[in-house]
Formats: sequence, structure tokens, C-alpha cells
Amino acid sequence: MENKEILRKRVDELAAKVNGDVQEILNTLVLTVKGSYISETLTAAKNFEEVPCDFLHDLTALDLGEQFAVVYQLSSLKGPQTLRVKALISRDTPVIDSVTRIWQGANFLEREAYDMFGIQFKGHPNLKRIYLWEEFEGYPLRKDYETESIEKRSVMLKMRPGE
Amino acid sequence: MDALNKLPLNIAAAIRGLFGDPHSIWADLTMTVIGIILVIVLIVLAALILILLERKVGGWASQRPGPNRLGPRGWFQTIADALKLLGKEDVTPAEADRFIFKIAPMIVFALPMMTLAVIPYGMGMVPIDLDLGIIYYLAISAISTLALLMAGWGSNSNYSMLGGMRAVAQMISYEIPLIFSLLGVVMITQTFSLSKIVEAQSTIPFIVIQPLAFVIYFIAGIAEVNRAPFDLVEADQEIVAGPFTEYTGLRWGLFFLGEYGNMTATAALITTMFLGGWQGPGFLPGIVWFFLKVGIIIFLMMWIRWTFPRMRVDHLMGLAWKVLLPLSLLNVLLTGLGIYIYQYVLRIGG
Amino acid sequence: MTLERTEELALNLGPQHPSMHGVFRMIAHFDGEIITKIEPKIGYLHRGLEKLAESRTYAQFIPYTDRLDYLASPHNNMGYVQAVEKLAGIQVPERAEYLRVIFAELARIASHLVFIGSLALDMAGWTAWGYCFRDRERILDLFEMTAGSRLTVNAMRIGGFSQDVPDEFWPALKSFLDDLPEMLEEYQGIFYGNEIAMGRMKSVGILPKELAENFSTTGPVLRASGVKHDLRKDAPYGIYDRFDFEVPVLNGCDSYDRGLIRLLEIKESAKIIRQAMRDIPEGPIMAKVPKVLKPPVGEVYHAVENPKGELGFYLVSDGSTKPARCRIRSATFINLQLLPAISIGWKIQDVIAIFATLDAVLGEVDK
Repeated sequence: MENKEILRKRVDELAAKVNGDVQEILNTLVLTVKGSYISETLTAAKNFEEVPCDFLHDLTALDLGEQFAVVYQLSSLKGPQTLRVKALISRDTPVIDSVTRIWQGANFLEREAYDMFGIQFKGHPNLKRIYLWEEFEGYPLRKDYETESIEKRSVMLKMRPGE
Repeated sequence: MDALNKLPLNIAAAIRGLFGDPHSIWADLTMTVIGIILVIVLIVLAALILILLERKVGGWASQRPGPNRLGPRGWFQTIADALKLLGKEDVTPAEADRFIFKIAPMIVFALPMMTLAVIPYGMGMVPIDLDLGIIYYLAISAISTLALLMAGWGSNSNYSMLGGMRAVAQMISYEIPLIFSLLGVVMITQTFSLSKIVEAQSTIPFIVIQPLAFVIYFIAGIAEVNRAPFDLVEADQEIVAGPFTEYTGLRWGLFFLGEYGNMTATAALITTMFLGGWQGPGFLPGIVWFFLKVGIIIFLMMWIRWTFPRMRVDHLMGLAWKVLLPLSLLNVLLTGLGIYIYQYVLRIGG
Repeated sequence: MTLERTEELALNLGPQHPSMHGVFRMIAHFDGEIITKIEPKIGYLHRGLEKLAESRTYAQFIPYTDRLDYLASPHNNMGYVQAVEKLAGIQVPERAEYLRVIFAELARIASHLVFIGSLALDMAGWTAWGYCFRDRERILDLFEMTAGSRLTVNAMRIGGFSQDVPDEFWPALKSFLDDLPEMLEEYQGIFYGNEIAMGRMKSVGILPKELAENFSTTGPVLRASGVKHDLRKDAPYGIYDRFDFEVPVLNGCDSYDRGLIRLLEIKESAKIIRQAMRDIPEGPIMAKVPKVLKPPVGEVYHAVENPKGELGFYLVSDGSTKPARCRIRSATFINLQLLPAISIGWKIQDVIAIFATLDAVLGEVDK
């Protein structure tokens, strides 16, 4: 359990520095910070003494209504520590620093988050839609995105009799 | 059996007999036309049988049934495919160089026809008996490089272009060991005529005297007809189908005919040069022996194709220039030494 | 004086191309035969699974997970149902846990067999491909016996397993495992030991350890770069901590090691299956799960070691019957980013081999 205690200590220290909030949800530490602190937070987490969280598993976003949360799943190849960092950004100006400078592997993940949520990653080398085509309107994984009803989409229903 | 062996010759003599003078120009012309028709029939038949055989061998190699639906055990599959090709639309890409694009498959198809015409199929059965048969064969078979480059260039597609470039690089490289490996046989027999070379092997086939040359020619020959593991020209995993990518229908079919015709020609030349041609124990006619040997060589080629992965382009060049070429030169040297010693011994003995 | 200039050639590979696994597309720029630039393009198989999950109940989403990495569907099922179980606090019966392990490891073997076959096929090694698919057939038969389908098995349920295996399953499984060493020998002989294949893969497409870690690489690709990381050992899920097996690690960092490591992993999977066959208890295969599952408010990130790498499910529950967010972290989507990084400077033929060793499954990449 020692690993976990050290991690908790480090995360608490970090939270105090970046004005964050620490929770434990189902055995995982969750650090919630403001979006503007994300580079600082992740750089610090990557260089935690003894318990570095230096492996980015996943990067995604959540639609929380008023805000978006960009979620980073961190862990390490050297120890059992895991940490989840959530960065809150406002819905009107969804802009956050890109972490591609820290982890090159975040490249596709940030493009996906941009594609699905419309979050702008500042400093990303190639921020374009990844799954959908460039002309696509809207961001599908936002809660206010309206999916077209089957009646609207279906070619069969649009057909006139005899066609 | 001797009668069977001579049967084609007797038929030929009978046809000539229909003319007033059996050696008039008209009789010669008729015989040549018949010979060419027979060669075309041979190529088409060979392609039909070989395509099916290829699939069956492929199935056998990777332990699956192969074609087994159409006709008894799938024997009619190729015929169905050929009919399907006939019914396909003939598409010429809008940006293609139309003349080159259209003429390339014809050249590819014409070449094996020209090379197979000089092969001795049986005793006295040479459609066109040339004194410089080997040189003629090598010169003609080298043109297929040009045809592939024309197809690659004419299609105006990047895949085709890459394939055409590869064809040139590969075939020119392999041409050299190919020619040098045949030199040994020529040195021994002192002739370029294919029928005389076959006659020289009446006691012992040259594969025994020239095993190294046989191996070199076999490898270089596979490379020359672009078959796996040297099928970089039409490497479907990389450049889709190389020069053939843009072809459809019958034009594409012509490439296939040409490919299998070339394969038959290479196997026929190997048989002639190293395996004794139509010579064989007397219980079978010569022509059967000939095609039996050709069949064995073709089967070996197919077996290799279905077993080995494809080579990389730099390894391919390395093999030609660093391994096969020195070995073929060594073979020429050894043959020369052997002939010198043999003659010396003869002189002592005589 | 004439100035010699070579022109770069842009080649479009995919989405319909003989060597592309699924509908991946890349635009490769060449100088002669040398790659100078690669742009991967994905999304041709995008079905919006994450969005679909938000309008399905937790149980309804299980069949969709089959369509992620369709070569190893039991693994995807397992990752998803275990994430839900973690979220809802459901205890799974022992027998179901063992069955899950057996199915997951069989799926790993099947997936790796497809990998070896398609790697060989990308180099035109038809026979090796034939062998691999011949043997994979027997695993699919085992799946069919139990769940009725072969590719999208969909055998797992939240709280257990859909149905118990039939009686003929065990002898068939045993005979498969008994024949496995001989099969592996065959692949070794026909493909991995082949001079041409070795020449094409050794020292090609070097992926250094640091680069692999920085790119969030997981799975066999990472382990072939000398990093010992396997979630079955490092963060055991289910009952994986009960089994005795090795995690193969190779230090070659090249295409050949990325290919070979799969062969070694098949051996270890067979070991796990044998132990599971020995230890499996009798008993129920389903826990008591409410008909209408409403996990408490919370979130969980659960990752399993898929044959291709880490498959993670990040589920957020708002207390309703449907997940508020179901995020799928698929391994090959992230591993695929390596392609431009490690294939610059190699020939087009090498790039085909490098792409094959990354073992991308487009169902998982495009989600």
C-alpha cells in the first residue's frame, strides 16, 4: 500500500500548487484542475518522485453540461500507480493546451477529442478531424448534438411510390 | 514406339506431299503457318491448364481444396474465368497513352509465341529450326521488359509506373547471369542450335555435367518471368498489380496468357538445355518426354511460388549481382578448364 | 550544366488495397522506392460506437463490443463486462471467471494466428497464411460450439457467462492444445525461419524503447521493444493473478521481433488455458444481476490486455440505465500513430511489413 500512500501525498502536494481537487473514485485517485493548469499539472505528474505517472493511457473528454472535462488516464510502466487527471474547460471557449509535446502518443487522441467534442488543443501539430470528414457539422459526442431520426435518414422512406 | 515417334514427321511429309514439289516455297509456307498455329494452340492450352494447375498446387501447398465447384473437381474453372474475361468491358483510362497502352499486352502475348517456335519438341519437330536458336531466344525474351515498361508507362498510374520501373531493373539484372549460365552448355556443344544441343544429350543430360548452371538458370529464369519469390513487378501487396493494374477484360487476359506462355517457354528452354529435351527411354514418344519434363519444371516453379515470401528489391539486386553473376562466371571458368582437361586426356589417350 | 532532379511520387494505398487490413488508407510519398512521408487516414469504418453506447442500456452494448477488435471478440466482451461489473459492484461466479479466461486466451491465439498469417501474406507467403487459417478454424469451431457464432462470439454477460460449454468442448480443446506445438513448429519452419522473410524483417522498422513509451504504445509492439509490460501481470484483472505464465519480451525492436513475439505469446496462452482447464470448478455461471441494471453514480477505467494491446473502457454512470459516457481506448488506434514515425526512410515493401507488424484491426481503430 506504500506506493499508493506516496502517490496520494504527491498528488495532494500538486493539487495544492495548481489549486486542484483530489478525490478517490473506485480505488483510483482523480485530480481535477482548471484547464489552464493542465500543462503544469501533467509535467509535474510525469516527474513525480518515486511514483512517476509517465505513461499516457488515454485522453478523452466528457460533456458535463456547463463545462467540458478533458480526462487523462495516467500510469507508469515502472510501478502500479495510476492517476486520472480531469481538466475543466468552459463550453463557450473549449480551448486547452495540447500535451503532444509531453507525449507524442496524444496526437491522434487529441484529434479524436477535437473531432467528437470540438475541443481546441493549442499547439497541436495537425488538429484536423480524424474520423469524420472535414465538412461535417457539429460535434457528435456533445450531449446537445441531435442525431437525425431514422425517418429523416432513411432513403427508403423518402422514396415516392413507384420510384 | 518408333512409329509413334515418327508419326508427326510422317504427317508433315504427307502434307508436303499434297503439293507438287514437296520443297516448294508454298509447302514451306504452309508448314510454317501450321507450326505457328500449333504454337498458339500450345500457349492457350498451356495457359488454361497451368492456371488451373497453379490454383490446385496453391491449394495443395496451403492445405485447402482449391477450385472445386465447376465441373468435375473444378476442372472447368479456368474456362469459366476465360469466358468471364471475354465478357468484361474494355476500359482504357482517360489519361492513358492510348497507343502504348493498347499495344503492350499484344507484345507480351507475341513474345512467347516467337520463343516457343524455335524449341525442338521431338525428333525433327522444330517449328523453325534456327542455327542461332539460343541467341534468338535470349534476344526475344529480353523484349518482354520493354513491354512491361510500356504497360507501366502507358497506364499513367503510379502503381503501374513503379511496377514498370521494377521490371526494367529486375530483368536487366537477371539477364546477365541467365546468359552466362547458358554459356557452359554452348562451350561443351560448340553450337547455338537448340536441336543440336538436344542431340548432344543423347547419352547424358547436361544437368549432370552443368549442375551449377542449371541452378543459376532456374533461379534467374524464375526472376525473368516475374514469378514469386521474384514477382516484384506485380507485387499485389504493394503496388496492386504493377503494370497490369489498369487493364481489364481481354487485354488483361493477354497478359496472363503471356505470363504463362513465358513460363512454359522458360521451362521448355531448361528442358532443352539441361534435361535432354525430348530424349528419354524408348517406352514413351519423345514429345511426351518433352512435355513431362516441362511439366516437372513448371510444377517446381509453382511449388516455389506458393512457399516462399517475396524478396525485397535490394536483396533481389544483391542476389543477381553479388551471387548469381560471380557463380555463373565461375561456372564458365570451370567448364573451360574441364573441356581443356578432357581434350588433353583425349590427346594423351589418342 | 544539367541539374539532375528526381521527382517525388505520391502513392495512395487504401482504403481498397490488397495489403491493407480492413479500410485503412495511407498516402505515401516516395523518392524512388524510399518512403519520405506517410499520412495515415482513418475513419472509413467509423460507426460512432461511443455515441451508440449512450443510447443503449449497459447490457445492450455488449454485442457492439464484439465489433471492435473482431478478431478477438471475447476479449472485448470481457473488458466491457468487467468494467460494468466494477462500476456496479457485481461478483462473478468462479466457473464463469475460468470460462472467460479460456475464451479470452483462445481468442488471443486466434488473433495471433491471423496476425502471423496476414504478416506472411503481406510478403506473399501464401502457404504460411494457409496454415494459420487452417488452425484458426479449430478455435472458431470451439467458439461456435458454445455461443453459436464464430467471429462475433458475444459469449459474456454482465455477471457471468451466457451459457455453459457443451460436453464435446473439452476433448476438442484438449486435442487442439496437444496439436498446438506442432503447428507452431510449422509456422517457425515455413515463415519465421525462412531466409527471405528474415531478410525482409530483421533490423527493419526500428522502434526504440523510449519512442514506444512516449507514443503510449501497448501490447506486443511494446514488448518487442524490450519493455516488460502486460496488464495480465502488472494490473491483473479477473482471475489472471492465479495463473503461472511468462510475459515474453524481445529486445530486437524490429519488425522480425514484433512478428516473433506473437508466436511466443501463443505458447504462454496455451499454458494459461491448460491451467484453467485443470482448475475450473463446477457451479453456476451467472451471478444474480438485476434485470434493470442501474450502477451507482461513478466512473471507472478498466483496461484488459487485448491481443493487440491495452483495451480500456472508461465508463461514466449517472445512475440511470444507460452509461453517460462510454469511452473505448483501443490499442491499435494509438499504436497506428507509430507508422509514420518508424517507416520513414524504408522501402515501400518494408512499410507493408511494418504496417502488418503493428497488427491494426480497423474495427478497433475506427470504432
